[in-house]
Amino acid sequence: MTTPRFIRPAALALFVAAIAVVGFGLPGGEAAAAATGKTLDNLNAAFNGESNAHARYLAFATKAGEEGYGEVASLFRAAARAEEIHAANHATVIKKLGGVPKADIQAPDVKSTKENLEAAIKGESYERDTMYPEFLVQARKEGLRDAIETFNFAKSAEAEHATLYTAALANLGALKGSQAKPYFVCTVCGNTTPQMNFEKCPVCFNGKDKYIQVS
Amino acid sequence: MFELPPIPAWDGLHPLIVHFPIALLLVAPVFIVLGLVIGRHARLFMTSALVLMVLGTAASYVAVSTGEAAGKLADRTPVVNQVLQHHEELAERVRLTFTVLTIVFAGLLAGPALLKRQLARVPMTVLALLFLGVYGAGAIVLANTAHNGGRLVHELGVRSLMPEAPLPAASADLDD
Repeated sequence: MTTPRFIRPAALALFVAAIAVVGFGLPGGEAAAAATGKTLDNLNAAFNGESNAHARYLAFATKAGEEGYGEVASLFRAAARAEEIHAANHATVIKKLGGVPKADIQAPDVKSTKENLEAAIKGESYERDTMYPEFLVQARKEGLRDAIETFNFAKSAEAEHATLYTAALANLGALKGSQAKPYFVCTVCGNTTPQMNFEKCPVCFNGKDKYIQVS
Repeated sequence: MFELPPIPAWDGLHPLIVHFPIALLLVAPVFIVLGLVIGRHARLFMTSALVLMVLGTAASYVAVSTGEAAGKLADRTPVVNQVLQHHEELAERVRLTFTVLTIVFAGLLAGPALLKRQLARVPMTVLALLFLGVYGAGAIVLANTAHNGGRLVHELGVRSLMPEAPLPAASADLDD
C-alpha cells in the first residue's frame, strides 16, 4: 500500500505548527493574563522607587566625592546606573500592559556619606526583603512573565547593592581619601559587581559584553 | 474523558525537556557496549547509539534555552543564585561536550565508509573503548548538572511557571 502524497507535507506542517505553538507559548503568554491587576500598580510603584533611587544615589555620589570617599562615590554612581536600568525595564513592562509610567522625583535628602550609606542600606534591604518579594507573589498570581522577570532582576541587584553598601560602611574609615574604583553594571538586568569573574551574567544569563564600566 | 494538556510557554517547558538529554545521553553508551559485545549486530547498535546521541544533544540545546528562560523567572535568593549559576555553567559544558562527542562518534561510524577502508576489529574496539572513557567523563558532568537541577527544585523549592489548568473533576468513586 502506498502512502498518499499529501500525508508527508501535512504531517510536517502539523509538526511545525505544534512546535510554533509550544515555542511561542501563545496561551501562556503575557496577552492571556489580566493586564489590569494589582501588578500594574506595583510596577508603577517600583518605577517611581527606582527613578527616585537613581536621583538619590547620584546626589549621594556627589557628596561622597566632596568628602573624599572616591570609591564610595563610584559605588553610588554604579548603583544609580543600575536603578536607571531597573526603571527602564519596569517602564517597558508598564507600557506593554497598557499603562503609562509616571515618577514623582523628590529632592534627595543628602546627609553625610555615613548616613547616606545607612539610608541606602535601609532602602535596598526593604526592596530586597519586602517590596519585591510581595510584588513577585502578586505577579506570579497574575501569571505576568515580563513583570516577574523585571522584578526578579531588580530584586537580585538590590540584594547585591545592599551587600556592597554594607561592606563600604564597615570599611568607611579606610576608604577616606580613596580614588574612584571601577564597578561593572549589566545593562540588561542592572546586576552590579566590582569584578567580572564569570562568562555570563549570573542574573540574566546574557554575555558579559552587556556589562558597562562605571567609576 | 479525553483532554488536551495545557501548552506551557517556553520557560515552562524546562521541567519537561530536561529529562530528554539525561535519559537519551545516558542510555546511548549502553548501545555502544552492546555493539562491542554482540558483534553480529554491531552496526545496528552503533547507529542506534548515534541516533540517541543526536537526539540527546539536540534536547540539551532546548534544555539550556528553556532553562535560561525559566531561570529569569525563578524565585531568587543568594543560595538559589549560586546553585543556578553553577547549574547553568554545567549545562553549557554538557551541551558543548556532547556536541563534540556526537560529531566524533559520527566520524568514527562514517569515517571508514567515506574513506572506503574498514578498520580491523581490534583498533575499532580500542577506539570505541577510548570513546567510552571520554563519554564517561561527559556523563559525570551531565549527572552533576541534573543533580544541581534537582537541588534547585527539591531542596531550594525553585519552580517553573506552569500554565493555569482547571482542577480535575472529582471522580464519582471518591464522592461516594
